Amino acid sequence: MAKNVDNISGTAADVLKRIFVTAEKAAAGEGGWGMEEKKYVGYACSYTPVQLIEAAGFTPYRILPDGDNPDAAGGILNDTICPHIKKILDRAIAGDTPPLAGTVFMNSCDAMRRLYDAWLRIRPDIPSMLIDLPATTGPAERSFFRGEIAAAADKLAGWSGHPVTDDSIHRAIGLYNKLAGHLVQLNALSLKGMPYLAAGEMQAIYNKAMTGPPSSAIDEIIETIKKPRENKTPPGRVPVYLFGNVMHDPEMLSMIESCGAGIIMNDTCTGGRMFTEIETGSGNDPLMDLASGLLKKPRCARTIDTANPAGIAESLANDAGKYGAKGVICHVMKFCDPYVLRLPLIREIAQRERIPILILEGDCTMRSMGQQRTRIEAFMEMLG
Amino acid sequence: MKEYFDNMISGIEKSFIGNRDGVSPRKKYALEILKLGRRLYSGENPVAWCGIAAPFEILNAMGITSCFVEFIGATLASNGVVGAFLEESEEKGFGTDGCSYHRAVMGAMHRGIVPEPDVLIGTTAPCSGGLAVLENLSRHFTKEFFILHIPQNDSEKNVKFLADQIKGMIEFIEKKTGKKLDMDKLKESIIRSNETRAVMDEVYAMAEKVPSPAGGRDLGNFGIVLPLFFGTSTGLEIACAYRDEFRARIEKGKSGVSGEKIRILWIQNRIQFKNPVIKILEDDFGAAIVVDELNDITWSAIDENDPFTGLARRSISIPFNGTIETRIAHLQKLCRDYRVDGAINPCNWGCRQGAGARGLIDEGLRSIGVPVLNLNVDCVDSRNFSEGQLRTRIEAFLEMTGGKRQAAD
Repeated sequence: MAKNVDNISGTAADVLKRIFVTAEKAAAGEGGWGMEEKKYVGYACSYTPVQLIEAAGFTPYRILPDGDNPDAAGGILNDTICPHIKKILDRAIAGDTPPLAGTVFMNSCDAMRRLYDAWLRIRPDIPSMLIDLPATTGPAERSFFRGEIAAAADKLAGWSGHPVTDDSIHRAIGLYNKLAGHLVQLNALSLKGMPYLAAGEMQAIYNKAMTGPPSSAIDEIIETIKKPRENKTPPGRVPVYLFGNVMHDPEMLSMIESCGAGIIMNDTCTGGRMFTEIETGSGNDPLMDLASGLLKKPRCARTIDTANPAGIAESLANDAGKYGAKGVICHVMKFCDPYVLRLPLIREIAQRERIPILILEGDCTMRSMGQQRTRIEAFMEMLG
Repeated sequence: MKEYFDNMISGIEKSFIGNRDGVSPRKKYALEILKLGRRLYSGENPVAWCGIAAPFEILNAMGITSCFVEFIGATLASNGVVGAFLEESEEKGFGTDGCSYHRAVMGAMHRGIVPEPDVLIGTTAPCSGGLAVLENLSRHFTKEFFILHIPQNDSEKNVKFLADQIKGMIEFIEKKTGKKLDMDKLKESIIRSNETRAVMDEVYAMAEKVPSPAGGRDLGNFGIVLPLFFGTSTGLEIACAYRDEFRARIEKGKSGVSGEKIRILWIQNRIQFKNPVIKILEDDFGAAIVVDELNDITWSAIDENDPFTGLARRSISIPFNGTIETRIAHLQKLCRDYRVDGAINPCNWGCRQGAGARGLIDEGLRSIGVPVLNLNVDCVDSRNFSEGQLRTRIEAFLEMTGGKRQAAD
């Protein structure tokens, strides 16, 4: 993978200059991925209408905060911005993505908005768009969001050279609904040990679904379900509900399991919250189906129910109870305002409902998770 | 708290009596801000806690005492008491990585000193943190709140969407407070707001002059706080006081900073607690902050017969909304208009929307020959403030900037 950022240090101006030179090299195909056919459209947020990207004939590719690229994004944005965003930008600077026909960003939070700004500067060679995402989910906001999605469909059609029709959107919604259903089924079967999948294995499937064609992910899930496997459900695992924003690295989930946790629900934006079924019963308006479905999906902390402030905390407590969890591990990104400013409420409501909760802050690296091992072990001992 | 504001108001009013040199506009402004503080605690009128981009003309026309939440953090910091409230917020689980304007509000809420609102009006611009704070207040006081989604640009579709939301906001306020909006009062409010806007424009035009009549403290927090008074005679009077003062200074040939040598643009917000920055700039280097990022008119006069469209356009136009490309273009325009030699960005710790594009702003201003000093300070939390370190960085920056200026001259 790309490692073409040599040594980013010096004065602020020097650092910026070198970052931009590196990004230019990446744009010229020196990032290690070559200049193969641009079949992917990149995205970074679970609110992205991936169905539209699929309908336009592209493969949606979630730019996960992977890789050990040099830390350069802090120089362009700020060191105190969400590590998820910084790692994605570091990938852009180092050219560590497949060739992209475009990128779709969501105006979901301050950090995502800033990522879009920086991306435009770093990778002007890749056409990009920002879709505005309302903070609330009422009828007017759904209608506004529909308009945003319609504009995005036009842009995607321009990128691909193929019209994005109602039929193609319908088909894409159907495909992603099938994927969402299969993921739910696989998770449910795994919990029963038929077959048991370690949380890391499950996450690898989520990652495949986020970065490749949905049909391939569906095929893999079907094969996994059919494949005869010995039930290797480890005994004595304590059922835990995992909640938060980004935890994409299978190794992180494996580490939590190695502390004695049985993750019964992965309620994160790189896990169970990424793919949810979109209802299609609202007549012949697939764009409205998509807008409503995305806004109604299980919420990220950035989306607000004004009639039920802190509803996200109530939902967490209810869901943890519903799944029979003995405790909640809540893992959020450092510097993530939407979550960080709601953590006290989440803690308060979990305590009120007598649900033990462990709150962890991370930066998308195993290094930060590794430092939390002792706390996770102590939490599991307490639950056990 | 009301007693605190009463005492402060009475002290300032006493200082006005017999003052032969006249009262500075800054003092008049401070007095009105204190009176707003008193009104928030008086219980006389319904109270609204809001986001920065709320249309205050409407709230003022409805007789709602309204304020944005960040005002609390700034007030506590400027009075030197913010530490205890930040500690309170930390005890309640708010991490120190967040914006201290917002953490101070949370601490104040838990200490029971935030006046209970009748309504809460959130705005998605400028930041996600402000909305989260309003959500916390909403739950704490068991009050439903209303959110204005501020779109990213002023396309016709977006303006109409926001204008409709503003109408929805009025219905919400009427339902929650029982106060009806009198459209004639709103019309008057808009007319007064436009008059204030026009006077502010004159103030800024005078501040552009070389040397500038503006001293480093004169227009601090001006463009961000004055909107709280939009639509009121108080707002207009404050703007007029500044205009008259600046006019008089120009007529007398008096600059805001004696012997002005270096002209500075201040990005985003000022440091709110007592600090030596202005003194170092002015006394040691003859450097004047001639413009703050938010001290600008970015909107057209509002049509009083179609107020919602104009109000929507204005909310969309604030420099903190939209893309960084737009914000940088605005900063570049200010640099050119005010002929600045350098810019200072405090890069408020914990501010993602403002400080979150520090490098891009830096590059954008350097591309037009304006160097930027990124201070990396916390503008509200004084507990970790290091005067020595700050002084060294400012001195180095001003020596370099001053040298460039001399070479150019």
